[in-house]
Formats: sequence, structure tokens, C-alpha cells
Amino acid sequence: MSQSLDVLRGTLDLLILKALSWGPAHGYSVAEWIERVTGDTLQIEEGSLYPALHRLDERGLIEAEWGLSGNNRRAKYYALTVAGRQALRAESATWTRYARAVFAALDAPASLKPARA
Amino acid sequence: MAAPNEPLWRRYLRFFGPDVDADVDEELRFHLEMREQHYLARGMEPAEAREAARKRFGDFGRHRRALRRQDGRRLRRTLWSERLGEWVHDLRYAARLLWHHRGFSVAVIATLALGIGATTAIFSAVDAALLRPLPFLEPERLVELRNVTLPFAPRGGEETSNATPNVRTVGALTNVYSDVAAYAVGGLNLSGIGAPLRIKAGVVTEAFFRTLGAKVQQGRTFSPQEGRPDNTAVAVISHGLWQRQFGGQAAVGRTVRLNGKAYQVIGVMAPGFRFPEDADLWVPLTVPMTFASFEPFRGWIPSVSIARLAPGVSREVAADRLRVLWRAMPADRLEELQGVIAEPLRDLQGSLVGDRRTPMLILLGATGLLLLIACVNATNLLLAHAAMRERELAVRTVLGASRGRLIRQLLVQSLVLALAGAALGLLLAYATLGLVAGLLPREMTELAAPTLNGRLLAFAVGLAVVTGLGFGVLPALGAARTDAQSVIKSGGGHGSTAARRGRTRRVLVTAELALALMLLAGSGLMLRSFSAVLATDPGFVPERVATLQMTLDRTSYPRSGTRLAMLQRLLDRVRSVPGIEAAGVINDLPMSGVGGISIQVNLEEGTVKEPWKAARYLKADAGYFRTMGIQLLQGRLMAASDDSVAPAVMVVSARMARELWPGQNPLGKRIKLLDPDTVGWRSVIGVVSDVREKPDENADWQMYYPITEDSPSLVAVVVRGTLPERDLLSTLRNAVQEVDPSQPIYAVRTLAELRHASLSNRRSNTTLITTFGALALLLAVVGVYGVVAYGVTLRTREMGIRAALGAERADLVRLVLGEGVWVAVIGVGIGLIGTLALSRLLQSLLYGVGPSDPVAIAGAAIVLLLPVVGATLIPARRAARLDPVDVMRAE
Repeated sequence: MSQSLDVLRGTLDLLILKALSWGPAHGYSVAEWIERVTGDTLQIEEGSLYPALHRLDERGLIEAEWGLSGNNRRAKYYALTVAGRQALRAESATWTRYARAVFAALDAPASLKPARA
Repeated sequence: MAAPNEPLWRRYLRFFGPDVDADVDEELRFHLEMREQHYLARGMEPAEAREAARKRFGDFGRHRRALRRQDGRRLRRTLWSERLGEWVHDLRYAARLLWHHRGFSVAVIATLALGIGATTAIFSAVDAALLRPLPFLEPERLVELRNVTLPFAPRGGEETSNATPNVRTVGALTNVYSDVAAYAVGGLNLSGIGAPLRIKAGVVTEAFFRTLGAKVQQGRTFSPQEGRPDNTAVAVISHGLWQRQFGGQAAVGRTVRLNGKAYQVIGVMAPGFRFPEDADLWVPLTVPMTFASFEPFRGWIPSVSIARLAPGVSREVAADRLRVLWRAMPADRLEELQGVIAEPLRDLQGSLVGDRRTPMLILLGATGLLLLIACVNATNLLLAHAAMRERELAVRTVLGASRGRLIRQLLVQSLVLALAGAALGLLLAYATLGLVAGLLPREMTELAAPTLNGRLLAFAVGLAVVTGLGFGVLPALGAARTDAQSVIKSGGGHGSTAARRGRTRRVLVTAELALALMLLAGSGLMLRSFSAVLATDPGFVPERVATLQMTLDRTSYPRSGTRLAMLQRLLDRVRSVPGIEAAGVINDLPMSGVGGISIQVNLEEGTVKEPWKAARYLKADAGYFRTMGIQLLQGRLMAASDDSVAPAVMVVSARMARELWPGQNPLGKRIKLLDPDTVGWRSVIGVVSDVREKPDENADWQMYYPITEDSPSLVAVVVRGTLPERDLLSTLRNAVQEVDPSQPIYAVRTLAELRHASLSNRRSNTTLITTFGALALLLAVVGVYGVVAYGVTLRTREMGIRAALGAERADLVRLVLGEGVWVAVIGVGIGLIGTLALSRLLQSLLYGVGPSDPVAIAGAAIVLLLPVVGATLIPARRAARLDPVDVMRAE
């Protein structure tokens, strides 16, 4: 599993954008969402989520604002910007195309095996 | 619910901007707490839950550090770009605004350009003469040794016994002085290479080049052997002369003729070296000096002694060693040597600048005053401008512009104006560099010409920043203090702000008038001095006299007799031309800048009177006195019969006769000079009127020997006639041409030109101060007009009401005039006090008037008051013409 982590780290931005596409959320709930929807497959350090969040903020894909959480505690909420939503759309399309290509290769019938000559 | 471990005070920091570290901590801590609660809800023990949350999070410290760094960087970037953006915005705003109010901007920029330009121009001279080091090796070690002479052996044999310290005795102090040298400057006819040419030559001792650290580019400088008498037919030339006369061809080893005598060129100096003055050639000055070594010159040239201090020796220590030598002089001479003993040496730069230092600093002070006036005027213009913009600024305040931001914007605006003024001022300064060079002594114009260098640039920009802040700060603060609501309510320009601004402007104009009066009074004093100098009797009649100079060289005219024969032919020829009344010859014209000599007189009665008296040692014929209009007061002039075999006679000046033989008849009295004349006793045959050597100095003693006794090779010919001056000059020139077509002549000019040239320093000082005074007057008048006109605008309503209530026009005029006159009177009053306090600084530049000369100062006050009152009349008449009905309707 640890081998796949590097690949996934590159995809972390995409997952964050997707998490925020449902509405503003703080870092903890983003982490929780990723854990919930991917199950135990993606075990990431929760700490590494934050540099990614701040980077996206700086790039203008998401924006941060301090607010109050459900238990009346000050928390930093992130929301998708217009640019972020566009980026999510483009990135997920790329990702899907990429995944489809990989699947297509894995599911290819034996008749398409590489030539031997 | 405060985050744990966060000190409370950190919260307050947020007032001053985001607190990156605290934000990061808070965000991460929130996450950990949420996770902890999640585990607690799952039934974990609290300690276990905390541990699990930490583990899940990863390396807390590392993540926190990375985040803090990342966010800190980001914050700084944001702040910078924000700040930069604001500046750019302010600059663009200022530029747009100033462009929009072009008239106002041009007025301010022109005012400042005058002030900054004048100050920078004078500073360029100060920079060149006083601040920039001389272009010599370690110039701080170079000194001038005052009154130190060369050992003297008139006929080349035994040295005259003269106990004064000389170059040799001082040079022996090798632990204090590395090198000691002496030099003199003179003119020579150069021939034998290229076209014959009159050049400036330095006569220098062997150690001269070593002392200054000057290097040859080719060949060598003088050897110690060449520094001894009778071994001097060698010359070193400047790089420039080499290029011009030799066309860059090999020069070393070639022979040139100087006044007809052959000299071998032994070296070419490195480019740029032309000291003393603008010398192009150097010949040896021998130690001891002899008459023979003066061959290129007339009889005697006082030399200047310089030295390089040994490494690590302070000027004070060197001076002390010299004092010991001076104190060893005979007791009866110690009194006259007081000055030398007090200051036996000075730094070379200071001694070259000499008495030009004071005028330069005075002029710099004058431009400082002018700059101050320009600043005050700019402040005034800015205040008036701020009044126009009052409403705009008020609206912006209401719309949320902060006070600091407004102040900054106004300051940026004044800085932009000041920098534009400085740019224009630098152009002005650059254009006048040539003029300003005239402030430097002749010794320095070649050595250290004023240039537009980095320091000058920095000076101008510095002035701009200081003035920009200086004149901008008052209006900026005033504008920012404005009570926005009242301005908007009243429609602008009528509130208490306007009244306060009016007061400020009156105070400023008063100050401006005071400063202007001081400059004008200075101009008045200088002009009065100048006319006093012009009114002095030079002792001769300068009109309608033409002169020229020539050197009868020793090849064509080897003996005195051949020279005299040539001069006689020349004079006969000139006198035969119709319209020529008189002609004569002399060795040395007055006011031509050649110094006199020091003489020691023996009277027949045996007493030595006034040892070492400054005197002029002249050789003339009788025609000289008639041509110059110098009056014979007693006795007779020299005659052709007073030749080398006749008894030695002399004509003396009135002052010399009076001081040597007070209350006695000087005719027939006999004197003997100890130095340099060795003829023996000489009788006085006549007394003539004193001739001033400089227009603003009293005459020295003058002794005229008959030229027929022994003709010098350097002579000046003078002619007087009824012809126009141009024809006089050509008559003289043609006569020389006819007598000897190969004879070079130079300095062909009228006597009036000579006198005019001798006044050039004084003229340029006077012109500059007067120009600054006139500019100050202009600025002051504009300033007063601005304030009074503004006052009238403010009080239009009041005037209208007064007019409606039956006030006479004359009353209204008086009302407005009163304001202007009141300001003017107070300003002039303060200016008078300032003038009386400061004019003493001008003392050294004045002639024939005291520093508190009432005519000059009162004149300045009148010259200032009249146009100022005139300037208030314009708005006053406008006030008087007000139609009450129109005024009311406008409201």
C-alpha cells in the first residue's frame, strides 16, 4: 500500500477540491470525508493535508475564512472559488481519462497481446 | 473558548495585521481536538485518545513549521505588493493631478528649479575647489611652505647671505618632509617645432615632479645635475603639447627653442598633468637660483615652495619643525614674521584656493537663502492649491481615506514636484558650469574644473528630497487636519481652515520678504562696492590706449643695445602714423596680474627703513608715462641719455617718495636696494602719481628705472591716439610686423580691456549675488501677490457687503492694500535685522562701503517695497471694482 502513496499524494489536491465541492468545510471534515469515501485504502497522514490546503488557498483555488464550528469553536473554513471549481472539473476529467486508459489496458482481451516478433 | 497555551496578548497582535503563527496553531489544534473527541466517542480513554489523534496526524512539529514558513512568506509577499501598489497608485495619482493642474505644477517646478539650480551650480564650484581632492598622489600630504624661498646667487657665484629658511634648509629635515620643491609660472615663446606659440611654462626645481607624485609617460624628468645653475637647457612637455606640436611623433631627444634658446626635450608627462596653472612645459629652476636661470622670464619671479610630508608625520609636527627655523631669525625681524610663525604651512589645496574660498562660501550661502525663498514660495503655492482641493480632500476623507494615506499622497505629490525641479535645476547648473568655473582661482581651473559628477547629482537629489518634504509637510498636515464635515457643508474655502491657512501663508510671505531683503541688501552692497571700485582713480587714463606684449628673444636680439634699437625703430614708426599722440615701452603693465617683489632699502642716511617692502620693479621710457597719462608730480622723467654708462637714476611713485622721505624733497635722494639690484646707489630724478596694480587695492611702491639702461627681453608697448580703438590696435600690430615680421606678439588689447579683465572676479561675484537678489525679488513679489489675491478671493463676500453698505472704493482699496503693506513692512523689518546681523560676513568682498551701508540697505528696502506694493494694488483694484449685486448673487 505504501508504494501507492506517492501517486496519491499528487492526487491529494484533487480530493480536497472534490471534498469542498459540497460546500465550505474545515480541515478536519475534509480529512474525515476522504477517509470515509475511500475507506482504509488511502491512509494518509492527516497533517500533510494542511500544507496542501494552504497551497491551494495561495493559488486562489480555494479561500479560507475563520468561522465557528458546530461546537462553537473558532475554526478555519475553506471554500471553493470559481477558479477552484474550474480546476476540479478539468482535473477530474483528466484523471478519469487516465484511469479509463489504465483499466482498458488491464481488461484487454488476450487477442490483443503484444506481438512476439 | 481560548485555545490552550495561547497567551492572551497574542490576540491583540491581530489588530496590527494577521498573526500567522497563532493562526496555524489554532487551526492544527482544532483538528487534533476534533479527532480526539472522535476517539473519545468511540470509547477510548482520554490519554489514549490524545495519543491516537497525534499518531494519526503525523509529525506535528514538522507540519507546523512548514505551515508557518509557508504562510509567513505569503503574508510578507502580500504586504509588499500591497505597499508597492499603494506607492505606484500614489505616484500615478500625483502625476495625473499635477498634469491636470499644469499651470500650478509649472509654477512650483520653475520656482524650485531656480533655487536648486542656483545652489547646485555654486556647489559645483565648492565641490571642485574645496571638496574634491587634488589629482595628485596622496594629496593630503602636500603642503605649501609659506615664505620659504630658494637660496639665491644672483651672478651664479656666492649665495647672498639671507638667513630665511629656504628649500635646502627645509629639505634637510628629511624625517619630516619627504620632498621639498619650488616652482614659478611664466610665459615663453616656443618655436622650432610646429608654428611658433606662446605657452605657459612652469619653472620648477628638480624635486617638483617627485613631490607631487607626477609621472612621465615617456623619457624622464630633471636629474639633480640639471637642477644646478648653468646646466639647464632641458625641458619636459605636457602630453597635450606633445600631441599638438609633435603630432604624437617621438619628442624625447628633440630640440625646441624657448625664447630663441635651444632646449632639449627629455620627457613627456602623463596625460592630464598641467600644474602649476595650465602649464604645457617645464624647465628647471636651479638651486640656488641665479639671474641666469631666470633667462626665460623678466628679472625676478617669486617662487612658491611646496613639500610632501613624510609618511605618518602630521601637519602640526611638520609646522613645529618649521617654526624652529623661523624663530632662529634675527630678533629684529621676528615681529614682521609673526604671521609666518603662526602658520608656517598650509595644505596645498587650501593655499591654491586662497582668498577665493570666502566668496564661494558667501555665494553658496546666498543660493541657500534663494533656495529657502523658493521653498517658501512653493509652500505657498501648495497651500493655495490645497485650498482649491479642499472639497475633494474632504470628500475623500468622508469616503474613508485615512489621514496617513492623504498625507502620504500629498507628500508624494510635493516630492514629484521637487524631483522635477531638481532635474530642471541640474540642467540649469550644467548649463552654467563654464560660468561657475570663473569662481575658481586660476591655479585651479585646469586642475579641478567643476563637473557634473555623482556627488553633484546626489546633492541635487538630496536638496529635492529635503525641500520636497520641507515645503510639502505643512500643506499636507494642514489638508489632513481639515474638518471634512464643515468643509462640505460650507461649500469649501470659507471655514476656519481657510482662515488658518491664510494666516500661515501671511507668515510665510513675511519670512520670504525678510530673506529677499537680505539678498537684495547683499546685492546692493556688492553693487555699491563695484561702483566704488570703478570710481577709483587707477592712476592712468585707460581710454584710447592700445597695448601688446612681446619677447625679444636672445637669438635675434642678443644684447640690450640691439633690443633698444628695435624698440626705438618700432616707436618711431608708430609715432609717425597720423592720429597717434604718444607711444612708449615698459617691462610690465599694471593690472596684468604679475606680482611685485620684496625689496630692502638702504637710505644714504644709513638707516634701513621697513625691511622687505612690496614694490614694483619697472623699466620704462618717458613715452610710457605720457601714453598712460601718469602724471609727473615733481622733477623730470628719464631721458634717452640715461643709459648704461650714465649715473643710475630712477623715477619713484608718490607713495614711495612720501613714505621714504616724509616731509622732505625726494629729488636727488639716493637709495640702494639690497636685493636683487646690485648697481649701487641710485638717485631719484622724478616723482609720478601712484598706479594701482589692482583696481580695488592700494598701490604698492613703484620704482621706474630707465629702460635705456638695460632693456629686458619681455616688453609691453603702449600707444595713445585719437583713432578708434580697433585702428589703434591694428596700427600697433602692423608696426611690429613692419619692423620685424618674424617677431611673435601676444596680449594685443586695449588698456580698458586690461582694466576690465582685472575686475573679472569682482564682476562675477557681484553679478551672481545681484542675480540671486533679483530672483529673490521676483519670487517675493509673486508670493505677496498670491497671498493678497487669495485674501481678496476669500473676502469677496465681505467686501460685497461693505460695498453694499456704502463703503467707498477707496476704503476697499485701502483695506486690501493694508493687508499687503502690513506683511511687507513686517517682512522688511525682520529682513533689516537679519541684514545687519549677516552683512558683516560680506565684509571681505566689499570696497569703499561698510557692511551696514545705509544707502545700499535702504535702497534694497525700497527696491523690494515698491514692486510688492504694486503687486498688492492689482487685487486691491479688483476688490474695488466688485459689484455688490454680483457678489450676492454668486453666493
